[in-house]
Amino acid sequence: MKRDHNHLQPNPDPSSLRDAPSTGKAKVWDEEAAQQDCGMDELLAVLGYKVKTSDMAEVAQKLEQLEEVMCNVQDDGISHLASETVHYNPSDLSTWLESMLSELNPPSTFDPFGAAGTAAAALDDSFLGPAESSTLTTLDFDNINRKHQKSGQQIFEEASCSDYDLKAIPGKAIYSQNTQPQPQTHDSSSSSTPTNVKSEKRFKSTSGPPSPSDIFPPPPAAASYGIPTDSTRPVVLVDSQENGIRLVHALMACAEAVQQNNLNLAEALVKQIGFLAISQAGAMRKVATYFAEALARRIYRFYPQNPLDHSFSDVLHMHFYETCPYLKFAHFTANQAILEAFEGKKRVHVIDFSMNQGMQWPALMQALALRVGGPPAFRLTGFGPPSHDNSDHLQEVGCKLAQFAKKIHVEFEYRGFVANSLADLDASMLDLRPSEVEAVAVNSVFELHKLLARPGAIDKVFSVVKQMKPELVTIVEQEANHNGPVFLDRFTESLHFYSTLFDSLEGSVSSQDKVMSEVYLGKQICNVVACEGVDRIERHESLTQWRNRLSTAGFSPVHLGSNAFKQASMLLALFAGGDGYGVEENNGCLMLGWHNRPLITTSAWKLTNKTTAISQ
Amino acid sequence: MAGSNEVNLNECKMVVPLNTWVLISSFKLAYNLLRRPDGTFNRHLAEFLDRKVPANLNPVDGVFSFDVLIDRATGLLCRIYRPATAEEPEPNIVELEKPVVGDVVPVIIFFHGGSFAHSSANSAIYDTLCRRLVGICKAVVVSVNYRRAPENRYPCAYDDGWTAFKWVNSRSWLQSRKDSKVHIYLAGDSSGGNIAHHVAARAVESGIDVLGNILLNPMFGGQERTESEKRLDGKYFVTLRDRDWYWRAFLPEGENRDHPACNPFGPNGRSLEGIKFPKSLVVVAGLDLIQDWQLAYVEGLRKAGKEVKLLYMEQATIGFYLLPNNNHFHTVMDEISEFVSSDC
Repeated sequence: MKRDHNHLQPNPDPSSLRDAPSTGKAKVWDEEAAQQDCGMDELLAVLGYKVKTSDMAEVAQKLEQLEEVMCNVQDDGISHLASETVHYNPSDLSTWLESMLSELNPPSTFDPFGAAGTAAAALDDSFLGPAESSTLTTLDFDNINRKHQKSGQQIFEEASCSDYDLKAIPGKAIYSQNTQPQPQTHDSSSSSTPTNVKSEKRFKSTSGPPSPSDIFPPPPAAASYGIPTDSTRPVVLVDSQENGIRLVHALMACAEAVQQNNLNLAEALVKQIGFLAISQAGAMRKVATYFAEALARRIYRFYPQNPLDHSFSDVLHMHFYETCPYLKFAHFTANQAILEAFEGKKRVHVIDFSMNQGMQWPALMQALALRVGGPPAFRLTGFGPPSHDNSDHLQEVGCKLAQFAKKIHVEFEYRGFVANSLADLDASMLDLRPSEVEAVAVNSVFELHKLLARPGAIDKVFSVVKQMKPELVTIVEQEANHNGPVFLDRFTESLHFYSTLFDSLEGSVSSQDKVMSEVYLGKQICNVVACEGVDRIERHESLTQWRNRLSTAGFSPVHLGSNAFKQASMLLALFAGGDGYGVEENNGCLMLGWHNRPLITTSAWKLTNKTTAISQ
Repeated sequence: MAGSNEVNLNECKMVVPLNTWVLISSFKLAYNLLRRPDGTFNRHLAEFLDRKVPANLNPVDGVFSFDVLIDRATGLLCRIYRPATAEEPEPNIVELEKPVVGDVVPVIIFFHGGSFAHSSANSAIYDTLCRRLVGICKAVVVSVNYRRAPENRYPCAYDDGWTAFKWVNSRSWLQSRKDSKVHIYLAGDSSGGNIAHHVAARAVESGIDVLGNILLNPMFGGQERTESEKRLDGKYFVTLRDRDWYWRAFLPEGENRDHPACNPFGPNGRSLEGIKFPKSLVVVAGLDLIQDWQLAYVEGLRKAGKEVKLLYMEQATIGFYLLPNNNHFHTVMDEISEFVSSDC
């Protein structure tokens, strides 16, 4: 019997143990476990299940217990498990089974922090399940912090004000033309050294000697997290290829020429791409055009201006928000996690690194307003880059949110901070209150990767976040590695990524929204391809890489559950061409993808060790 | 009933390695939650619980994969698995559809199992299995992400299989050098085996050659209750009740299990006599309660004069081919390898 199939994962072959009596088998398993280094069963790991070999017998026992209980329980009990219970992180079989056992066999003394802690918390999911209509509480809160109230502001229009459900996600936001210059609460310009921040080498370069721009100094030991090579490159081909292939060939050849500093060849190819692109149709043409433009900028050293004019970038951002579900998914899933984390808290504080137009917050505030027992006092601190026209854009956003808060009777406090970089932030600026008094959540949507452009910036920010002692940190990032050390690899990865993203936009109803979204994404493409050093801020990294950074920095995962998954899935169905979108669960994180290619990931984190936060 | 359940569980644990038992029992548990008595299916929870893996251009153990959208109207995706070559150890996007190299390159169109309702081409269990097949058979594997019941009943899965088949057959980059044709095998487990049969039938009717069918624990059934169904009901992970549920979810409303989709050689089926049906390798697990139907299928092929090899794995349960930790697994993989390579 041939056993050395080289395509198989290495594993101990217990088939010879099959006939041993149960006790003997258990004994051998224990020995195996002792030999292995805290070993996960490798065979199950490949299939997506994390079970320690030493726990296998116990997991089997739980399965048997559940089987027995389910036989004895009414049909109702089982359907409750399916429809009401929130499931978390199914890869961790042991915990998943335990949580179901607790559901069916509640412990005699209710211990929310016991082994089934997460499940216990999940039992009270009155505001997490499908919404029921409810009336706003008639309690009268003295809810506006006077210093933020302005007269004559337009109201932040809301699509619907009744339920916390998908309708509550804001649609069109109407903004006043009013510009009221306010003294900026914080401003700084940071000096920088133009170094290319090291990211781990993804894999061996196959395309000739790297160009000078790709050579980077070896990182100081502290900066390197020993991030393992992220070796997954998912690709979905959505076009029938034919002419598209020639175009892709030309793009790759041009990128390779750039990589090898063969600028004459690169220039010739870039022109060819222009001609080829015209004859293409749909998403491929647009993507090719943006990549070609970015290559041209790199070749001619005609770099795009950074940063963008703020009001234009706002407009683009909003169109992107409308056209496709990425931002809505990000906000929705992050809010879900924040809502759960804020359960039972009387005063809450959200610190938003990605304030923009504040579109994430009305839905959360709404959900808090509808909470059983009434809303907490809600404080929001928002960060954003400076505006070119001296308007205090962040203040305006705050005012609109204040109006909204008043309408829904939520006590509201707001503060905006303008900064060129999140790394300029210090915890002392924030007027943090003791965590027993006020629970903090930190939120970052598509912002953290920008910090990777400057050495030390991400570390600084993590350290400041820890000082905030947050209950929760929600992070949404692009699911891609566009930060490898080799230009050609970054080019290839981003070509796959943005091709998929553009393809997903094709089904949009509004052509204006679509065009603006493409411009919005086009700016990112330009940054990835044409820029270097501190200017290259679109340094997307994958979930695996972020997981490593965060756990090294002292954070532990908080899992998003089946309720968030389901509602996110339902949200996607609302989008035209929605069939291609899909949500995937990955060890407690949720990913949004197009035709099975994951594109963005929402993850949630807490401090691994709350008490040592201050010392770091 | 509780008493006999205990006996069953212990018995069941004796015939499979512990981690296999844990895996299949977890599926059984999850699947019990997903099937609703009214015939609807908790799809959101199913997708949440299913462990999936992305495609990966970086070769792992010599195999890389990528997804292709082959029919936008239905959203039909296939995942393609190719062996990495020495010349291109790290394929890039322009090499994905590079012509296969070889006088004879088998292309296996694979249909995953899940009783027509569960799993996907990107389910970890099937991604793993397909990768193995590449190595064992030195083949390109195309795994079809067909539409599932109960949202999409018969004949959606077969139609998707047929669409994928035509797509594969028309790819010039999949042609073997010897005759500039695509050398197609159809393979599948459980419902996938059932789909493989029906797609093969359609293919040969359309005059396109299929070189062989590989059916692993194929899902067939019928109105009658067979001896094995009665004897093994509930004993090894599977119950008659759940089998009935899946057929009711897949077959057209109002149809019973003698519908030819379910029972191809039954009262409403037809003989394959005179039809150029491919040779078949049919694997039957001795502890699978539907084995009588699978054996009847084999008999039906034989009666019609079709070449068929039966592998009856006496002590095997469903899903034995998901983990390489038992003798049945290795036996079957060897047989599959031989079945495909005998074409050369």
